[in-house]
Amino acid sequence: MTVNLASMVARFGRRHGFVIVILIVYISISVAAPSFFGTGNLINMFHVMAPLMVVASGMALIVMSGKLDISVGSTAYVASAIFALLMRENTIPVALGWTIALAAGLAAGTINALIIVYLRVNALIATLGTMIAFRGFGLLLTDGGLIEMPEAVKPLGNVMLGPIYADTVLALIIVAAMHFVHRSTSFGRQITAIGNNEDVARRIGIPVDRRVFASFITSGLLGAAGGIMYTMQVAVSTSKIGEGMEFIAIAVVVVGGISLFGGRGNILTAVVLGALLFQMIRSGLQHLGANPYSYRLVEGVVIFLAMYVDALKAERVGGIRLRRQEET
Amino acid sequence: MTAPYLRMHAISKHFPGVAALKRADLEAYRGEAMALMGANGAGKSTLMHVLGGIVSKDEGEIIVDGRQRDFHSPIESLEEGVGFVYQELNSLPSMTIAENIFADGFPQRYGRIDFQACEGKTREILQRLGSQLNPRATVEALNTGDRQLIEIARALRRNPKILIFDEPTSSLSQRERQRLFDVIAGLKRDGVAIIYITHFVDEIFAVCERVTVMRNGKTVFKGQIDQVTSQEIVHEMMGTVENESRLAPDQKKQSHIVLEIDQLSRADELQSISLSLREGEIVGIWGLLGSGRTELIRAMIGLDPIDHGRLRWRGQDGTLVEIAPESLHALSGIVTEDRRGEGVFLPLSTSENIILPNIRAIANRVGIVDRGKQKKIARDMIRRLGIKVTSEDQTVATLSGGNQQKVVFGRSLASSPRLFLLDEPTRGLDVGAKTEILKLILDLAAAGAAIVLVSSELEELMRICDRYLVMSRGRIVAELPGAASKRDLLAAISTRRATPEARQ
Repeated sequence: MTVNLASMVARFGRRHGFVIVILIVYISISVAAPSFFGTGNLINMFHVMAPLMVVASGMALIVMSGKLDISVGSTAYVASAIFALLMRENTIPVALGWTIALAAGLAAGTINALIIVYLRVNALIATLGTMIAFRGFGLLLTDGGLIEMPEAVKPLGNVMLGPIYADTVLALIIVAAMHFVHRSTSFGRQITAIGNNEDVARRIGIPVDRRVFASFITSGLLGAAGGIMYTMQVAVSTSKIGEGMEFIAIAVVVVGGISLFGGRGNILTAVVLGALLFQMIRSGLQHLGANPYSYRLVEGVVIFLAMYVDALKAERVGGIRLRRQEET
Repeated sequence: MTAPYLRMHAISKHFPGVAALKRADLEAYRGEAMALMGANGAGKSTLMHVLGGIVSKDEGEIIVDGRQRDFHSPIESLEEGVGFVYQELNSLPSMTIAENIFADGFPQRYGRIDFQACEGKTREILQRLGSQLNPRATVEALNTGDRQLIEIARALRRNPKILIFDEPTSSLSQRERQRLFDVIAGLKRDGVAIIYITHFVDEIFAVCERVTVMRNGKTVFKGQIDQVTSQEIVHEMMGTVENESRLAPDQKKQSHIVLEIDQLSRADELQSISLSLREGEIVGIWGLLGSGRTELIRAMIGLDPIDHGRLRWRGQDGTLVEIAPESLHALSGIVTEDRRGEGVFLPLSTSENIILPNIRAIANRVGIVDRGKQKKIARDMIRRLGIKVTSEDQTVATLSGGNQQKVVFGRSLASSPRLFLLDEPTRGLDVGAKTEILKLILDLAAAGAAIVLVSSELEELMRICDRYLVMSRGRIVAELPGAASKRDLLAAISTRRATPEARQ
């Protein structure tokens, strides 16, 4: 009986381990800093992390295919800069501004896709290049300056829908949509197949290049969407926007259980819970009155732990996989 | 008998520098399995690639169901009803069985995958294969046999008229193999024409009605299986061995035993292998591909874990002491056919390649390598092995295959090992280079090293071996003296055992 209970606890722990971690972190911070606890702060955290969720849901798809897109932070900045420049004119409708900024994200994603698919450059290297280039392009547009939103646009970033923020709802819809794409569409399953083993995917007739192309365009688009969302929230575009966002997005996805080796994970829970963990750490440190410069140190430790857990899991599952392939 | 469903006639294919197919013929009949046999490089794969639309033929015709066909792409071939079950498993481990089968073309409804249809059809195909697997199970939870069933199911999805099995049993256990044979029998009843490629002669008598043997790009034999013996098939596969004279007379060695292996076993690959190796002796391991030759070498040096067995090594004091495979690795000189993959560093110079394993020995106390010493050792080795280079600084990438292989030997020689394990050391070399490598092996043996030589080429073994160990299905099935004739050696591997022991 006790053995049974122990194994049940163990299985429960394996399956819901991450939820348990989140609860523990939430409770511990709440005990240390009571102001952290409560729905008010929870609603706030989901508001602040909305742009990150959007960017991370694009990243989730890329990581699912066994690749990385580290240009999304810079794409977010380009979209932010274009949107802010257009809004400064005061003559362009907000919706048109969004559309143009999103189109810029689409273009950025297409550039990445072209380099990766046609020039056969490794995705990490290709997006490392465009990460630098895109930010350079954004700086060129703005002269590196700070652009404030006009008064009329400023409140749009903090619109409420009932008790929660509008951008939280939008972000959750996007994450859910990406989850659906991954789980239930041919595109999503083929991306997962590519993440399992790209060579095998090619051999069994999956149009690998077309799928990879589409995934990077999606990532570019969602990077831009995240950038716009963030700009609306803070009502100003600065040259710092999106800096380091790509790595936090990767960390969110991996902390949430999507394997960096590709092919495994649940987009909905990974993105929402992963982003929540990082937001809780930030908010918690704030409520504890910690030195703001310590945030990155703590985040770094969390990222390291997540990657370590992922590597352990890969050894258990992937290790067997590799050996089997050798035998054939 | 009715007309063949598939007829490939006088197919030729030239690759730059080689004629891969020279007017090869092949016929397959509905409801029958046709065994396609041949040694490595006989042209089986190229012929099948022509059928699969992967390689275009230069000459010849393909007739399917009475109509002439030309396949320019794999898709065209698929649509004509040609299906492949490849030797390697193309599994997507984290995905379900149904997803694995339909990954390249999911049935869809309103933009989303119709999982119900997908799983329903998967269940149907699996039932046809006599399997009760759940279409929703993930493939990583399956064993090798079931994974292969998924490969077959994937091919069956398109209702192929012709199904090609490329060495399907190489990673299967006895029981899984039997099930595969049952599946093939079922497919035959459904009227599928099966082409069955294998190296295992005994298998074709269990599943096939006909046999086609290829050698050097030509079809050398076609016939009904009941009118031929396994010996005849092996003879046709190997061809007439040009009896090149021995490079040295074989000798029955009475010298000290260097290594003794006792009851070595590993999973499905090796079954209680026992052998001993003597100083100065060249022992040839003779067997077809998949007989466990390479697996034996890998297990001996700890590249694959072993389940049972002990290795004993002659120590300094002359007694045999137990040794771990990993330690044997460090003590022996190892040369494999894959010199580019695991042998040499192509972009580095010849001298660096020779020195690298022992670079600590020529480094001074702070770890800086003595270039002068490196040059001297490398030059000595180049002279000793007769490596043809312009200077010891020439990069290995620019050397010929034979010279690259000599560099690999040179690396091991620097530590003067007393045991050499050679797995197809002459693969891909021309005749002259082969002879030079064989002479080098003789020199090593003359200097007192024990040598294990694995080769697919019988004539090569027959030129230098003092003794043969014959392998089949992971066992040593016979030991023959160096004086054994080609006939004896061929007979030894083509003997069919009446009752293959149940494995696992």
